[in-house]
Amino acid sequence: MTSADRPIRVRRVHPWLLGVAWTSPWLVGLVVFLAVPVLLSLIYGFTEYSLIEPPIPVGAANYREMLGDGLFWRVLANTLLYTVLAVGIGTVLSLGIAVALEQRVPGSDLVRAVVFLPTVVPVVAASLAWAWMFSAESGLINTLLAHVGIRGPDWLGDGRWAMLSVVIVGLWGIGSQVVIYAAALRDVPRQLYDAAAIDGATPIGRFFRITLPQISPTVLFNVVMSIIWSIQVFAAPLIMTKGGPDNATLVYSLYVYRNAFEYGRMGYASALAWVQFLVALILTGMALWLGRRLVHYRGAS
Amino acid sequence: MSSLSASSRSRRAWWQRLALPAVLILISLVFIAPIAWMGATSIKPESQALEGGLRPLPRIERDGGGLGVTQPDYWRGVAASAGATYRDVLTSPFADFVAYLRNSLIVAALSVVGMVVSCSVVAYGLSRIRWQGRGVLFLITLATMMIPATVLMAPQFILFKHLGWIGTYRPLWVPAWLGGAFGIFLMRQFFLGIPRELDEAARLDGCSHPRIFVSIILPLARPALAVVALFQFTASWNDFVLPLIVLNHEHEYTLGVGLYMFVSKHGSTPWNQVMAASVLAILPVLVLFLLTQRAFVEGIATRGLKD
Amino acid sequence: MLYWEKWTGREGAAIQRVIDRYNESQHHAWVHRVSIADLPAKAMVAIGGGDPPDLVGLFSFNVPHYAEARAVMAMDEFARSDEFDLDRYAPHVRDILTHEGRAWGGINTCSTSALFFNRTHLREIGLDAPPRTLDAFDEAAAALTVTDATGRIQRAGFLQTLPGWWPYLWALIFDCPLYDPATHRAIIADDRAIAAMHWVQETARRLGVGATRAFSGAFPRTYHSAQDPFISERVSMILQGPWLSAFIREHNPALDWGCVPMPLPADAPEPHLARGMVEGDVLMIPRGCPHPEEAFDFLLFTQLRENQELLAKVHGKGSPMREISDSFREGHTNPEVTVFDAIARSHRARILPQTRIWKQYADMVMSAFDAVWGGESPESALLLVERRAQQLLDLDSRRNAAHGPNA
Repeated sequence: MTSADRPIRVRRVHPWLLGVAWTSPWLVGLVVFLAVPVLLSLIYGFTEYSLIEPPIPVGAANYREMLGDGLFWRVLANTLLYTVLAVGIGTVLSLGIAVALEQRVPGSDLVRAVVFLPTVVPVVAASLAWAWMFSAESGLINTLLAHVGIRGPDWLGDGRWAMLSVVIVGLWGIGSQVVIYAAALRDVPRQLYDAAAIDGATPIGRFFRITLPQISPTVLFNVVMSIIWSIQVFAAPLIMTKGGPDNATLVYSLYVYRNAFEYGRMGYASALAWVQFLVALILTGMALWLGRRLVHYRGAS
Repeated sequence: MSSLSASSRSRRAWWQRLALPAVLILISLVFIAPIAWMGATSIKPESQALEGGLRPLPRIERDGGGLGVTQPDYWRGVAASAGATYRDVLTSPFADFVAYLRNSLIVAALSVVGMVVSCSVVAYGLSRIRWQGRGVLFLITLATMMIPATVLMAPQFILFKHLGWIGTYRPLWVPAWLGGAFGIFLMRQFFLGIPRELDEAARLDGCSHPRIFVSIILPLARPALAVVALFQFTASWNDFVLPLIVLNHEHEYTLGVGLYMFVSKHGSTPWNQVMAASVLAILPVLVLFLLTQRAFVEGIATRGLKD
Repeated sequence: MLYWEKWTGREGAAIQRVIDRYNESQHHAWVHRVSIADLPAKAMVAIGGGDPPDLVGLFSFNVPHYAEARAVMAMDEFARSDEFDLDRYAPHVRDILTHEGRAWGGINTCSTSALFFNRTHLREIGLDAPPRTLDAFDEAAAALTVTDATGRIQRAGFLQTLPGWWPYLWALIFDCPLYDPATHRAIIADDRAIAAMHWVQETARRLGVGATRAFSGAFPRTYHSAQDPFISERVSMILQGPWLSAFIREHNPALDWGCVPMPLPADAPEPHLARGMVEGDVLMIPRGCPHPEEAFDFLLFTQLRENQELLAKVHGKGSPMREISDSFREGHTNPEVTVFDAIARSHRARILPQTRIWKQYADMVMSAFDAVWGGESPESALLLVERRAQQLLDLDSRRNAAHGPNA
């Protein structure tokens, strides 16, 4: 901005050049920190690369290897399971909380802040706090369950419960979805409700006939964003279970991390990352396609 | 939505009127529980932390009997117990949390400044200059928000290795100086809301773009700058994956990695110390959030806006 | 010089004594130790990223990985490499340090695992020490187990899930070698390992999968505390490393305990020879580190017998050297050190597979063990592991072929 005080009379600067100049930091950033790594990983995906030795070209061997790698399918299935649970439960839960908040009872602003709070908590601290809550013997959850006469499971040590525990940690952070839904709910035109009141619709009927169609673009947005978040889940399983027991919480990103940084197989990890990217694309594509058929854009009908 | 309740309030039975507040209170309790329990555990001695139970406060014994919460000595005991845990954490041979705090602050400060500067410049280019390609660039920007960050974990590491940045803070803050999709998006939306007449008048007076940017747009955009700064601060403070793979030396760790290493290095898990360390890690963001709660929530809400 | 070490606590203090001795012994170099968590992964990333320390303390099973990746320097690459003498070490230790015919580091104590038993508990069923054959041992373990009316375990005689971090050890006890270095073949779906897993599964069946998981899950996943299953006397017998002796002394000095080699199946050949695995901690010098020759000087210093014996005494371990000094056993912190020493010198004991895929192989055995414990057939679980491990081994051979022999 050294030119700030020197009025530029050269109005003839081509607008295209001007636009590129102003956006140049981001253009450089896109190329250097996004395009180059993505391209690098595409190339390294066709090599065997231990980070120290020079990479050896191996053709499509990494991709072929994936097909026969039982663990690859396992982590894919685990990640999809996590995604289905986190997105499904998360959507219902955050919509429900948003609707409750928008009833505008005294103190709902405070509740909104409390629900949003976990989204600013560092993921390491959040995972540790939950690991402590889930502790089989002295954790808060099993202590509470014991008070009502239920013997809680070994949440993190039992393969049937571990994935659900990790999902719960993810659900704790739905605050931003709630806030986005709440904003959308406020934008629903009031006249629609008044008309429905005359028709004598029940609150539940009103929600499904008016509210949901009206906020459906927001639902689509949130679903797409949380699919992307779910596919990259990493820190919570790493910290809470290290992927165990019996790989029950070994998620995709954790497997990529292990191959890249523990097994010294950067090439295989790069190939895995590419497949992860494709899976993310396919899932968001599916969500958008479904959305096109279900989402009601205002004024469209 | 308020009309929904207004029209039917009179017809509601008492339990219906109480149900909603009860649900909201329950929700708050569930969401606050992990943090509250973290705090409670952090002030107990290790043996009491491991006992479990629902007591939020430690038991303080004196002369064979437990002290009651009404006795001043009780609170002195609590303070001593909490002080001991936090002192253990801060002087732990396994971790140097003072250094981690400092490192996290340095990285966060550098990346916040970079992010705010770069995003506002780029957003100006996307909102105030008409040029071919700006629509495409904006679409690409939105699309990059859809790339899962962990997909880039391995390839970015390779890039940083080629740049010779492994073992330095550069991977953690340099990219912020080149902008980020969310910040650019937010800032552009805000700039579009500033009346064009303002800068057009200035341009007729012969003002250059940099001049307009600095003296007209930026002062008006302060709220948006603050929101971007807030989000970048939390993002940087909470970042875990990147510092985990690029930082090698213990004295360079940021809080997230330091906390993780503290736990994995400890033989057993002294939960009171782990929780105390966690409290230290979340305290700065917690305070920041409480002070700027509105800006945060409104910033996030705009994320859901359709273009 | 920067030295990364995984040890903390007492073990960290012991190596610090050696470092202090070194720093005082000369004036041209200074060693600074930093303890690092998750070191094997972290060190590889730092070396690969071009930012390595001068010395790293790793585990013996890291040697092949680091050696093949040329992440560390071979002992013959230094100006004074003739001062590094492999013949000073006990035979298994020599094997640990060498890969592809070259030595890659110095030893930093070695250990084996033996069966710790609670003498007071054994006396309750009229025994002085655990039986020598597995059948009798299983009976004793069953007799020592206490369950309540609901099937909850109060005390276990012996559980293969405890401590739970080396499930491949059961295969070694049954004489399955896991790997043949000559032919690069993974061996885990073989009769001996399958027999071992059937034996493991028998315990799960007898006590119940849920009950055993609940019982073992309640312990912290480490031996450093008073809550350790053996130290807290909730398990009567456990297969553990010699370091446990130090933690018993610290947390439950009144415990009356002893050690024997792990019992063997009735048909085991040469039953008088103990089985077990010999593992060690190794000190290596990363390729591309700032001060390789100075690091080598320090490494030589740590390999002096007196320094290794000092470390071993504090850790409760046997000596890694071929010749043991007369004073070694005097004042040793582990009263049963001779048991560990005998296992380490038995030629039926084994070192872990010398291949860079071992970490991944071990992870797979770990989950196969979980699956078998949960009731899956050992045959199919182990076959899956062997197939995938072989695939990785073949891949590794191809990679080594591409890089040429010992670049």
